[in-house]
Amino acid sequence: MGSLWSKIGLSALLLFFIVALGWVGYRMFTNELGTKVRTIIYVPKTIDSSIEFWEVMKQGVATAAKEFGADVHMVGTDTELDVDKQIQLLEQAIQEKPDAIILAATDYYRLVPIAEQIKAAGITLITVDSGLNGGVSESFIATDNYEAGRKAGQELIKNIHSDDQVAIINFVQGSATAIEREKGVRDALSQNGVNHVHDTLYSNGSSRKAYQLTIDLLKNQPQLKGIIGLNEPSTLGAGLAIMDMGLKSKVKLVGFDNSSSEVQLLEKEIMLGTVIQKPFTMGYLAVKTALEVVSGNKVDPIMDTGSEFITKENMYTSENEKLMFPFIE
Amino acid sequence: MKRHRFFRSRSIHTNIAISFSLLILCTTIVLSYTSYRLSSAAVMGNSVAYTSQLIEQVKLNIENYISNMESIAALVLTSSDLEKYVKGSSSGQEREAKDKQLASQYLRSVVQSRTDISSIVYASSEGITVSDRLDAVLKPLPELVSQEWYQQAMNQTGVAVSSSHVQHLFQDEYRWVVSISRKLLDTFSEMEAERQGVLLVDLNYSVINNLCKQIELGKRGYVFIVDPAGSLVYHPQQQLIYSQLKFEQLETVLGIKSGSVTVNTGDEQKLYTVDTTSFGWKIVGVTYPDDLVANKQRMQGTAALWGAVSLIFAMATSVFLSYALTKPLKKLEMNMKKAERGEFDIRVEIESTNEIGKLARTFNLMIMKIKELMSQIVMEQEMKRVSELKALQAQIKPHFLYNTLDSIIWMAETGKMEEVVEMTSSLSKLLRSTIGEGEELIPIARELEHIRHYLTIQNMRYRHKFTYSIEVHEDILECSILKLVLQPLVENAIYHGIKHNPEQGHILIRGKREQSDIIIQIIDNGVGMDTEQIGKLLLQKADYKSGSGVGVANVNHRIQLYFGDHYGLSFASEMEEGTTVTLSIPALYEEES
Repeated sequence: MGSLWSKIGLSALLLFFIVALGWVGYRMFTNELGTKVRTIIYVPKTIDSSIEFWEVMKQGVATAAKEFGADVHMVGTDTELDVDKQIQLLEQAIQEKPDAIILAATDYYRLVPIAEQIKAAGITLITVDSGLNGGVSESFIATDNYEAGRKAGQELIKNIHSDDQVAIINFVQGSATAIEREKGVRDALSQNGVNHVHDTLYSNGSSRKAYQLTIDLLKNQPQLKGIIGLNEPSTLGAGLAIMDMGLKSKVKLVGFDNSSSEVQLLEKEIMLGTVIQKPFTMGYLAVKTALEVVSGNKVDPIMDTGSEFITKENMYTSENEKLMFPFIE
Repeated sequence: MKRHRFFRSRSIHTNIAISFSLLILCTTIVLSYTSYRLSSAAVMGNSVAYTSQLIEQVKLNIENYISNMESIAALVLTSSDLEKYVKGSSSGQEREAKDKQLASQYLRSVVQSRTDISSIVYASSEGITVSDRLDAVLKPLPELVSQEWYQQAMNQTGVAVSSSHVQHLFQDEYRWVVSISRKLLDTFSEMEAERQGVLLVDLNYSVINNLCKQIELGKRGYVFIVDPAGSLVYHPQQQLIYSQLKFEQLETVLGIKSGSVTVNTGDEQKLYTVDTTSFGWKIVGVTYPDDLVANKQRMQGTAALWGAVSLIFAMATSVFLSYALTKPLKKLEMNMKKAERGEFDIRVEIESTNEIGKLARTFNLMIMKIKELMSQIVMEQEMKRVSELKALQAQIKPHFLYNTLDSIIWMAETGKMEEVVEMTSSLSKLLRSTIGEGEELIPIARELEHIRHYLTIQNMRYRHKFTYSIEVHEDILECSILKLVLQPLVENAIYHGIKHNPEQGHILIRGKREQSDIIIQIIDNGVGMDTEQIGKLLLQKADYKSGSGVGVANVNHRIQLYFGDHYGLSFASEMEEGTTVTLSIPALYEEES
């Protein structure tokens, strides 16, 4: 009896060590697998390197890729308008079976089916800057455009009286970004007692159209004291119109985004300030969030990367310099 | 001392194996861990040394760039073209424009000779501005003068080095540069105080950016630069820091001149390796301790694997060793068990000279001694038995003799001479066969002869109160039987069965073989006995006084002593019907016994 037990004990001990050895081996093996590089396909709206916004976002993506050791590669269309090509690129991307796809959707509605396919293929989908109808993606990382709009509205209010007339120049009808920004502006204005807001004008993303609309507006509405341009061309067109009509001291302009033309408008004090986004942060967070989802962590469905209001006075501070004048290598 | 239950309930073999295993386990774990710690510390040390070398190299490179810029500034300030224009020695608009053009050309030649210089500008408060670009439009003087590079240079002696920033000297031109500015006063010392100007040399930020970017510190490590005021000159994640997604312990960095420090930022540990340039910038190498030991996982794995391999090897050895150690003990134990069961013809074959060998030899000696003692006891017992038998046999003679002689005397007195003769003759034959040659076993035939004489005598004594018959199979006549076992039984039948029976009795002696046994029955038809009497019969000692002859118990005792407990007597009796005494012995022929 005793010897039987001791035999069982010894066998158990030996077995334990063999199991332990196996476990160590398994650990080593899985660690090799664990360090496997995650692959991410990043699809911005455009790969046009002359558009600063996407270049800076690319930097953010690259920084995160290096920090987290992910293999990110970028595919994209030459223009922001080529929705069909983007869908086609995403179809190819699914074939490559990456761990995640980071998408800046060129269309709020038309990309939803392909997004569903991406999810069905078991690939993590993160949307950045421009999202999709119905929130298909695991996380949407972008500027809170409603908040950005509010910011623009509030800054304008500081420089006008509450009974002054204000006009809004939006860029396109039906775009989620445009709607959110305008809603933010309108809410900020009405909450502060500014009720004379003109019907929204649409520049359709053309600074020439914005210029023409503003010239007409300034001619027909001499009481106008403030204009808010909701994107870069709209703001630029409005600014040039104010400058050309010599109404710099009378009409206050608040804009969105940054370009060297807008910097000049700021320096010439035609513009009070501009609300800028943080594409670097967007790119960085998109990769970080994608990797977190792939690792099985919970993430917020919406992440706000924030916005800044830049004026002539603060644009050369070290915090804002990087945002206003991104250093592109 | 109370021993632990764990050790008590197990064999030495298991105990040794378990103890060894635990010892080896601990040793291996400690060794593996220590070697892992040591090598990890060594790798860590190497990495730290490597990082500080890299950082020093970066520092030297940056110092080199800056001192180049300084010497360019010094060179430019001593140039005659610039001096001529600045001093305003030429009079007249045209001459002045010409001087400005010459100065600008000179500056341009300097800028073009070097790719790392972005621009060179001279500006003075009384309105003289000149740059390396004639066609570019400089910003209005008041704006230039209010800029940081100008103010900084004016407020200090020597060279002012700015942090990285966007230079906005020219209309519509925004470049990332590091500014090096210097007061003119230092070189044009003879000039009046109000004719002061500042020379600005802008270093392309991409120079520093590229320099820092290419530094690889582990997988995730990076380099950043901070100026004495605490603003970041270069940081790969500057925007994240401004967005407060990332943190650096700038205060800690500013407190260190050079060396390494571990800091916690957010949820991670970082190792800062700091070096300070001559003009105050701090170059910080950031490494992640987890990253530093790049093959930490592998080292862990290797340490654990080899630990486990040597562990298993050592375990196997310990099991084998404990087996080898306890094997002779087990053998000894086995032999002891045999001895316990009564086998003494054993010898433990253990040749080793160690303690167990000595133990085995002692055990062998002991067993030998026990064996000797045992055989001695057996001999003694045998002798005792023989002497007891002899004593029992001896008991018969006087008792019977007295009775018979009494009868003979009585017959002689009554003048029955014929009977006296017959009886005396029978007695004489009886005595002869009784005394015999002293042997214990005799053929049944002889025993029956003896009993006939006895029955003759008794029959005469009791005046033919009974008849008798003997029916014994011829094939058992040659078998051996103990001497004088039948006589007490017949005597018993007479005294207890026939004597008290008023009618004439009959005694039947029947003998036959049953398998390997011989069964002899003495059957009488006397008064019979109850069970109590039968019990008494087997227990009682020979009772001389009562005259009941040699006890039946003695017969039983002798048979059992001689042939074993399987044999002996059994009784069957019924009151008023008679008694049957059955005697069983093994069937033995003279040759065999």
